[in-house]
Amino acid sequence: MSALVPAAEGEGAAGRLLETAGAWLLGLVWALPLVYALWTAFHPSAYSARFDLLAPLTLENFVRAWAAAPFARYFLNSFLLVTSILAVQLVLSTLAAFAFARFSFRGRDLLFALVLVQLMVMPDVLIVENYRTLRWLGLIDSVLGIGLPYMASAFAIFLLRQTFKTVPRELDEAARVEGCSYLRLLWKVYVPLARPTYVAFGLVSVSYHWNNFLWPLIVTNSVTTRPVTVGLSVFASTDQGIDWSVITAATLLSTAPLLLAFLLFQRQFVQSFMRAGIR
Amino acid sequence: MRDRLTRLLGTALVAGGLALGAGAARAETSLEFYYPVAVGGPITKIVDGMVADFEKGHPDIKVKPIYAGSYQDTITKVLTAIKGGDVPQLSVILSVDMFTLIDEDAIVPYESLVKTEADKAWLKGFYPAFMENSQTGGKTWGIPFQRSTVVMYWNKEAFKEAGLDPETPPQTWDELVAFGKKLTKKDASGNVTRWGVQIPSSGFPYWLFQALTTQNDVRLMNGDGTETHFDDPKVVEALQYWVDLSRKWQIHAPGIVEWGTTPKDFFEGKTAIMWTTTGNLTNVRKNAPFPFGVAMLPEHARRGTPTGGGNFYIFKKSTPEQKAAALTFIEWMTSPERAAQWGIETGYVAVSPAAWETPEMKAYVKDFPPAAVARDQLQYAFAELSTHDNQRVTKALNDGLQAALTGAKTPAEAMKDSQAEAKRILRAYQ
Repeated sequence: MSALVPAAEGEGAAGRLLETAGAWLLGLVWALPLVYALWTAFHPSAYSARFDLLAPLTLENFVRAWAAAPFARYFLNSFLLVTSILAVQLVLSTLAAFAFARFSFRGRDLLFALVLVQLMVMPDVLIVENYRTLRWLGLIDSVLGIGLPYMASAFAIFLLRQTFKTVPRELDEAARVEGCSYLRLLWKVYVPLARPTYVAFGLVSVSYHWNNFLWPLIVTNSVTTRPVTVGLSVFASTDQGIDWSVITAATLLSTAPLLLAFLLFQRQFVQSFMRAGIR
Repeated sequence: MRDRLTRLLGTALVAGGLALGAGAARAETSLEFYYPVAVGGPITKIVDGMVADFEKGHPDIKVKPIYAGSYQDTITKVLTAIKGGDVPQLSVILSVDMFTLIDEDAIVPYESLVKTEADKAWLKGFYPAFMENSQTGGKTWGIPFQRSTVVMYWNKEAFKEAGLDPETPPQTWDELVAFGKKLTKKDASGNVTRWGVQIPSSGFPYWLFQALTTQNDVRLMNGDGTETHFDDPKVVEALQYWVDLSRKWQIHAPGIVEWGTTPKDFFEGKTAIMWTTTGNLTNVRKNAPFPFGVAMLPEHARRGTPTGGGNFYIFKKSTPEQKAAALTFIEWMTSPERAAQWGIETGYVAVSPAAWETPEMKAYVKDFPPAAVARDQLQYAFAELSTHDNQRVTKALNDGLQAALTGAKTPAEAMKDSQAEAKRILRAYQ
């Protein structure tokens, strides 16, 4: 802004106003489904398509939604799923990214290219092949089976490698001179500096796997392994008519953990995304 | 019809649970049964109950129902499992997916399994309208289980208010228009507060459209599933009627009418008449705040409706013992007493005439006569649209229908384009 000539300042203000208005508009459009869900979920179903400020509030929709399926178990499964995936992803990709970023070995570029190729392949294409592998491993219908195909994340490797590359060589060398082992170097120098990248990737990974539907549906058969998204499909009965109140209540229930986490850590998330360069 | 809910069965049976030997002299046969509902909800409880009853009478057969989501999810899961080498023994899948399953070489015809005279008699015991979607090339590939048709629901209070006899629904296309004009209500500023009739057109408009084409006495495809007749003048005429309901007569909401919320519009008085599946009967009975009627759809050249819903299929990659056990299970599930119980508890049309002769069914119909409307309409029913590569062909028709309903194309243009697209897709099967 400071580089602009003074005459442009009026335009700048107008431009900013326009930007703000645009941001609000986009924000509203984005929030509308959520606002509708909040409205509908807390009112009797007679008001699901009618807006009346004085409509009675109720929690009955949540009670009905909770009772319609074993949601407690589903939440546990979803929680186990996303945490186990994230934990393994972080360990594996940190080590891999460190190797790609700091060591030179034969075939490194070829291997990294292969990792990048994996980024281009949609996981849905591999459903049959993954199913076959998991069946061979005897992991069909297990939480581990849902998570296993995602545990080596090309995206995380790529992201962390780029971040590790920005770490100044001097820090690295200073630590080495002090007699630091490679693992310690990684743990004491690289990982702390890459924290924003970890937070940003963690958010992407958790929300993706929390919301994933098709693959969990296909590899699981029982209540003890299915995540909450599959449980949510209970309400997709177009045959018997759709009850928006219960659907929105159930949707709020199943997205609540993510929404809460986001609201609590909003500042860190936004900063991390800016620093990590994912937008 | 389509998506159905459910709940998964409690325990992870899987590999380990396959009762290996157990030292008993008699070998147990285990069956995996994919059923199209998500976990939870009343339907899973009914299925679980029926399976438990079956196992009581057949201690040597173990059936494990796996609730697999919507019909779409179920067929995806089945086909993935087959390609991954892990096959269920039987499943309920849409009757219209028969050609797809045959093309995938996934299922076996029932003729290869039935042996005794009793089996053969059982195979002949279903309503012919349901068998249209279950047989091709002289073989039976599916057994009707949860089947439905389109019926008309009307609001008796609205009829009274409009000066119509609340006990007489429209009998013909012309009457539907005449009644609709009286039933459509506008407020002072000219906004419609109640439409005369609503025929939903989201998701799978072809199914409701097929009611109109059947009434116009034209079929949308041949029995081999290799040819469609979307650009037949009678098909175009049927579509013109549907479009005219909103455009010309203004008794039907314009544009695309949402399938899922149509019952709600009916309960709230936003439409006086609705066309929807018999599967909604229990929902309407529970939630309509006014007296309502259920009737056959109005006639034009003839009466008519498509059938819909799911069939039992037996998969090829099972052992002979499993196939025999699956057949026993299906025969039991579709026996008159069970079919009647299933129909009463879910609202689906009981699949055999014998089921309607059971004392339970007779008592139910006496108590709630609308339940019999779908059955009486069956004699006029045609098979639901089903071809090879069914999903894509159906989409070609759906796109054309929605283009005509929104006014993007004329009915004739829309059907010409749909037919050209369907022909292109089906060329591989000629």
